[in-house]
This record gives sequence, C-alpha cells and structure tokens, in this order.
Amino acid sequence: MAKRAGNIVAKFRINRFWSALITLVVIYAIVKWLIPAVSRWMTDLPFPLTVPGELIKIYMILAVVAMILLVTFSQKHLDEFLRPVLKFLRAEYGQIPRAVVLLLISLVIGYITYGVAVPTSETPISLRIQHPSSNFPKKFEDLKNPAADPPEAEVAAFIEQAKANDIALIAQVATDVEHWLEENPDGHMLSFLPTAPVKKFLAELDSGEVSMATAKAALIEKNLFEGRALYAMNCRACHGDSVSGDGPMADGFKLRPINFTDNGTIETIVEGYTFWRVMNGGPGLPVEATPWDSAMPEWKLSLTEEERWKIIMAEYDLAEKTPRIPEGH
Amino acid sequence: MCVRNWRPVRPVAFAILLILGVGWAVPVPAADLPSGAMPEATPELIEQGREIYVKRCSFCHGLLGDGEGPAAEFLDPRPRDFTLGVFKFRTTDSGELPTNEDMFRTVSKGLPGTGMQAFDDGRIKNGLSEDQRWAVIAYIKTFVPEFDDPEFDPYKKLVALPGSMPAYSEALVAKGREVFERAKCWECHGKQGRGNGQKAFDRLDDWGFPIRIRNVTHSWKIKGGSAVEDIYMRFSTGINGTPMPSFVKALGEDERWALANFIKSLQHQLTEHQVMKALKIDGDIPAAADDPLWAGAEAMDVRLAGQVIAAPRWQNPSIELVTLRAIYNDEEIAFLAVWDDPFQDVIHVAENELDPSELRIVGGYNSYVQPYDMVIRKLENFRDSVALQFPAKPPKGTAKPHFFRGTSSEPTNLWIWRGDSETSGEAAVIEATARGWKQEAKAQPEGQQQVNGGAVWADGRWSVVMKRPLLTEDKADVQFTEGSFIPLAVNAWDGSNGEHGMMMSLSTWHFVTLEAPTSWTVYLYGVIAALIAGAFSILFIWLAKRTKDPEPEAEA
Repeated sequence: MAKRAGNIVAKFRINRFWSALITLVVIYAIVKWLIPAVSRWMTDLPFPLTVPGELIKIYMILAVVAMILLVTFSQKHLDEFLRPVLKFLRAEYGQIPRAVVLLLISLVIGYITYGVAVPTSETPISLRIQHPSSNFPKKFEDLKNPAADPPEAEVAAFIEQAKANDIALIAQVATDVEHWLEENPDGHMLSFLPTAPVKKFLAELDSGEVSMATAKAALIEKNLFEGRALYAMNCRACHGDSVSGDGPMADGFKLRPINFTDNGTIETIVEGYTFWRVMNGGPGLPVEATPWDSAMPEWKLSLTEEERWKIIMAEYDLAEKTPRIPEGH
Repeated sequence: MCVRNWRPVRPVAFAILLILGVGWAVPVPAADLPSGAMPEATPELIEQGREIYVKRCSFCHGLLGDGEGPAAEFLDPRPRDFTLGVFKFRTTDSGELPTNEDMFRTVSKGLPGTGMQAFDDGRIKNGLSEDQRWAVIAYIKTFVPEFDDPEFDPYKKLVALPGSMPAYSEALVAKGREVFERAKCWECHGKQGRGNGQKAFDRLDDWGFPIRIRNVTHSWKIKGGSAVEDIYMRFSTGINGTPMPSFVKALGEDERWALANFIKSLQHQLTEHQVMKALKIDGDIPAAADDPLWAGAEAMDVRLAGQVIAAPRWQNPSIELVTLRAIYNDEEIAFLAVWDDPFQDVIHVAENELDPSELRIVGGYNSYVQPYDMVIRKLENFRDSVALQFPAKPPKGTAKPHFFRGTSSEPTNLWIWRGDSETSGEAAVIEATARGWKQEAKAQPEGQQQVNGGAVWADGRWSVVMKRPLLTEDKADVQFTEGSFIPLAVNAWDGSNGEHGMMMSLSTWHFVTLEAPTSWTVYLYGVIAALIAGAFSILFIWLAKRTKDPEPEAEA
C-alpha cells in the first residue's frame, strides 16, 4: 500500500532544482508579504508591521545556505539538482531559451549592482527598544500603587467622610460633582457614582453596619473616578478616550502614542516601571529607546505623585489589563 | 522513500497557506449601523447606561450632560451639551432631533478631528458592545425631554440618500463645482474650500462659542465623516446649532450628490514619505514663494500636533499640516513651507502674551491652556509664524536632539519666520539656537543672521520661503552637504487662534536630503557587472559541455 502511494506521489515529484527554487520564492513571499499581512490581521492596526529589509536579507541567506546543504547532502542529490542545469546549458531545451535566460540573468545582476551603487534616499533606520531597563532604578521595581490599595487609616477616614456625607474629592472633579448634587440633592453624595461597590457601600451605610472591605472597595471606585478624570484631562489628547493610542493629537507624532489595550504594553511591566515612565517621560529614556523621538512629557513637572498613581490605576482599568507582578513575590 | 517523496510537495502547502493568510488579513469594516432597532429604554437599561456614561463619557460631557466635564475646558470644539437637545450630525431635517441610529453612528465612529472618538468594540479592543452603546444612548436621551414628545419624532423627518448615486467622475465633479459656485458655498468655505470665507470670529454658535468654518480639504478634520455619502448628508440636513444650513429645498438631489463629489475632490491626499529630496538646479534659487520652479521640487507633507509636552500645553492647534519643498544649487538652499490659515495675522501685541509660570507648577489645577479663558483668540493680536528646526550639530549615528527644541547639550538651530515684519520693522526671519523648551530660543548675533525670507498669503494659504547659504562658518548652524540626511522638524503658530510662544503646533523629526547627482561611474559598475555575468555564462556553457552526465537516480 505504502509503496503504491509512494509511486503516485512520485509522479508529481518535482526535480530538486525546481523544488529548491520554489522553496526560496515561497520563503521570500512569506517574509515579505505574509508576515506583514498576518501582523495586520493580528494587531488590528491600520498598517502592516513589515519585516525590516536587513532581516529579510538574513532570512534569505539562511534559506540559501539550507538549500545548499540539502542539495549537497549526497552526490545523488547534487546530480539530481545539476541535471536540468546541465541540460539547459547544453541547449537541450533550445538555443533561444538559453540565450534569453542567460542574458536576463546578466542584466538583472547588472541592474542590482547599479541599485546598490546608486545613492538612495530611504529613511535612515533607527531601531528602538520599547521597554528599556538599562537605567531603570531597582527601587521602583517593588512599588505598589497606593491608590489601588489604600491603607486602613485612609479607609477609616473615608467611612467617617461618608457618614458625614462629605467626601473629599480632588479639585479637578469637585465642580462637576457639585453641579450634579445641586440637581440631585436627595441621595448620598457618593450616589453620583453608580457602580456596584459604591451601591453596596451606601446600602451598608444605611443599615449602620459598614465593613472595612466594602468601604475599601468603594474608596477604590472613588480613586478610579478621579484617575479617569485626570487621564481625560492630561493623557487623553494623545493616548485617546479609550487608551487605544489614537487621541486627536496622535497623527502628529511619527512615534505614535502607545496603545495600552495592546498585549505587550502595560501588562508586561510592573507598576513601578509604569510610574517611572510617567514620571520621567521621553527625556528619561536611555539612548537605545531614542528619547529624541518620544513626545511623552516629564509628568513629575506637572502632576503630583498621588495624581500620577491615580492615572496609572485608571489606565490599567480602562485597558482591562493588570500589571506584571514583581519577581520574588 | 514515500515520506521523502512528499518533501517537494511542501512548497505547494506553503503557497496555500500564503493565500489563506492574505485572505484573513483583509480588515472587516466595523459596523456603524446597529443590527436591529434600539431596545426599549427600561429603567434597568438606563441605569446600565448611566454607569457606562459616568465611566466613559462624563469627564468631557459632564455628570449632568451639560458638556461641562473636567476635561471640557481644554477642548475646542467643546463637548456637546446634550441638555439643549441640539445635535449636529443627523439624517433628519434641519433643526430636528437625531434618530437612534444617528446617535448610534456617532457613538460608534466618533467625530474625526474632535475629542469624540470611536467607542465601537469592533474598532477598539476595550470598546462598547452594541447593547452597551444602546444603554448609554438610552441614558443620554434622558437629558433631552423633547425625545419623549411625539411631536418631535425624528423618524417623521428623515432625509434619505439620493435615489441614484453615480460613481465619482470628472464630469460629476465639474457639475458639483458649478453647484458650489451657484449655491455660494464659497462665501463661507472659500473658493478653494479652505474655510477662509469669513472675515472675523464675529459669529457665535448656539452654545456661545465662536464659529470656525471647516477647511473641507483636510479630510481628517471632517467631523461628520469624509465619505461622499457623509458629505451629502451634511448639506442635506444642515448642522444644527451652527450657520450651516440645509440645502434640501434649494438644491435637487442630483445637484447635492454632484456637490458632495466636488467636495470630495478637494480633499488633500497626504504624502507618506519622511524624507524630502531637495531639487538641485543650476540657476538662481527662487526667492519668491510663488515662483513656478517650486512645482518641480518634491513635496513632503508634515503633520503637526498641538504642543502638549510641557506647560503651557495646547490642545487646539489650527495648523495640522505644513507642506515642505526644497531647492538648492552650488551655493544656497531654500525651503518653501505652505499651510492653510484662513486669516493673515501680521500684528503682534507682546503685552497680551500668556505668562505660563502659573501653569508650570506641580499639582496645579492643570497645565493646559483653556482656549476660551486664558488666551485671546481674535484678529490683530498675535502674528502668524513658522519655524524650521534642524540639529545644530551633525547627528552622530541615529542620535538626534529631542524634537521639541533639543536639550542643553544637544541644541537645535531654528529658522523662525514671523508674519509681522512689515508692522514691526524687524527682519522677517531670525536664526536662533534652542537648548530645550525650558528657556526661550536665543537669537544668534546680528552678524550671523544669514537666512532670508519671503512670504505670500493668498486665498487662505501662507507660502513662506527661507533661504541660506549651504555652508556657513557659524558653529551653531546646520550645514548642508550632498548625500547626507539632515533631520528637520516644523513649528507653526496661528496668531488669531491665540498661538504664541510654546502654544504652537509642532512636528517630530523628518529628513531632508540633498540628492547628489548620479555619478557616471554608477552606470559603469552596472555595465561591468552585467558583462562579467555574461562571461561567466559562457564559461558555464563550456564547462557543461565538458562535464559527463551524472548517472540517473535509481528507482526505489
């Protein structure tokens, strides 16, 4: 049975010379067109991620080396490979095809040589490392976001504020909440925030039995609200309403603002790293990350530490991502 | 043996995979139309919508839907105040409410050129599902009591697309141009569609903000969408709250369709390259911005963003595109910068400049400029200006100064053209050295000022030429040599938009290269290589004839 199947396949066998040639063409097609096409499908970006020209060269050299190894594996392989070549050179396929093909090959080689020698004007390549760590201070590695895990004293103070119906809010959101309270004077002040943890907290507050866990969850909701507002004020213009790196300013920057919903961005780094990047911006980057192309501001000049942490918390929440846990924990 | 024989088939499998791969990669357009009618607005749906609204919408539109959220004060156009019940982008008659589907489209697609972005989960990973979008629309509708009044039912006032929509053609565009003239669209939008028809910011919209007429040639700023169908809808429904009327009664369906195609034909097609080739000429460098020689030089579109890197941050730049060209000869190089600006601002009142010191504090209320509060946006106040920026020192490897004015160790060389030279009596162009944004760029000493400029403003467009010798003795100057890639960035200011100082638009680094003329040796190399290859071919033929045929492979 097996032998018969083998014979059938043998009928469709291609000579080793042609199979080597086709394999090279297919590998080139994959690297040049398929990978960019698949990248576009996978990332949903409006542009393909092309394989750099230098990398294509390396792949093709490897492929050619592999083909040479395969062909010279044994004398039999080599003979099979050479047979059509020799036939062709002896004009067994005809004088005219031989003349045309050889002339074409000569002209192509001449053209490629001209192409290499002629001065070109392609954008100088500048490779860039996205999460550089060469100057990342170790002490940031283990930082925890205080807004996402408020200490007990803060939760207790929050409960007191809630009982007095006088929650402390950052100035940036206070005005809008006040307007809302003028129109909705009956309920508790926090009811402007209609999320489940806040509703549960308000219900417990009514019943007089407030647990620390519920209060903490509600405080985190309040911090998130403030973080989202600070994000909308400070980061939205570039990183976009929905942290997708597509804000109204994004098209003006050649190095586009990062899309936090992409895998491989904020979820692959520890929170302390995010904090360090937000703090020092483009100018804080090491040379391998091309600081001169980054429009990221040094936020330590404009935002307080508390504001930065709240923004980071909102960023992860909006992107539906969690930060990487520091190693050793 | 059988297994071995499969090997040559593998390339075919690869080819099939390749075809499949290309098939998958075709992007599926996100739906702007819902799959069905809006669900009934139950209290549960409205409460679900409120939670989404507070999380995703309230920071611009306000908790009360009044367009007064914390971020609203930096935005222009301002976020919509829903409580007035005036909606701009509809498929209903002028002055009417939008349909549910109209609101669904805006929430799904967003409004290009504004802070309102797409929320469709087919467009962004963390977007809203169709049900969630309906929930938030149900909540937004609670801000507008008119939606409950059957008298205002938008479905009774629908505007449809034309019955016949012929494809885009030159003839259709020509007919549309004629309609554009006759309907006097140019009175506001300008003869070239650059939005330069108005004489001043003397008219306000329904919300009390100055009217800014759209430059219809910049497709990325067309809020209602830049497709022909979208354009058709805008002048068939009017834009509520603004002077843009509906032309349903004045123009027939086919006329409006032709007009939409004409507007489409005005849209600027952006170039994609980041390297500009300067054109080499033998004669004199053109000093005038309207010299016909410029048409022969390669154009490079440079996109600009508002300066939001350091306080005072500015989110409302009016110049988002500057098109550059360069020409040089053996002695000199000249750059032409062209951009659209509806007003020619040639006066500068230095006393009105903003003092940014209050914005430059940690934890201040914000570091952004509020366009309607903190700067004067009017005519005859600040000048129009443009600057070309180059690294002051030749870059080492790929390293460059920071695109935002360099740093103290990596300075940049600025050529700043100022529109007020005739009123101020100063030189039109100053050469300056910038060492980071924290200090003002410093003008070079009088003797080292070597850039000359000329400018023309016509039909809502500035064309500015700046010219300098290729090489100078000055160490703080960029030097132009053939064959090198010189980083180049643009800063721009629209005076009547309140822009001055760090309130500007800016670009990241692009490149200019002076194309060295191809030397004859390059062609020679090609010919020699072809000849050598030919000689080898003959050698191979000779060798092939001498070689004994290998034994045919024995069959298994």
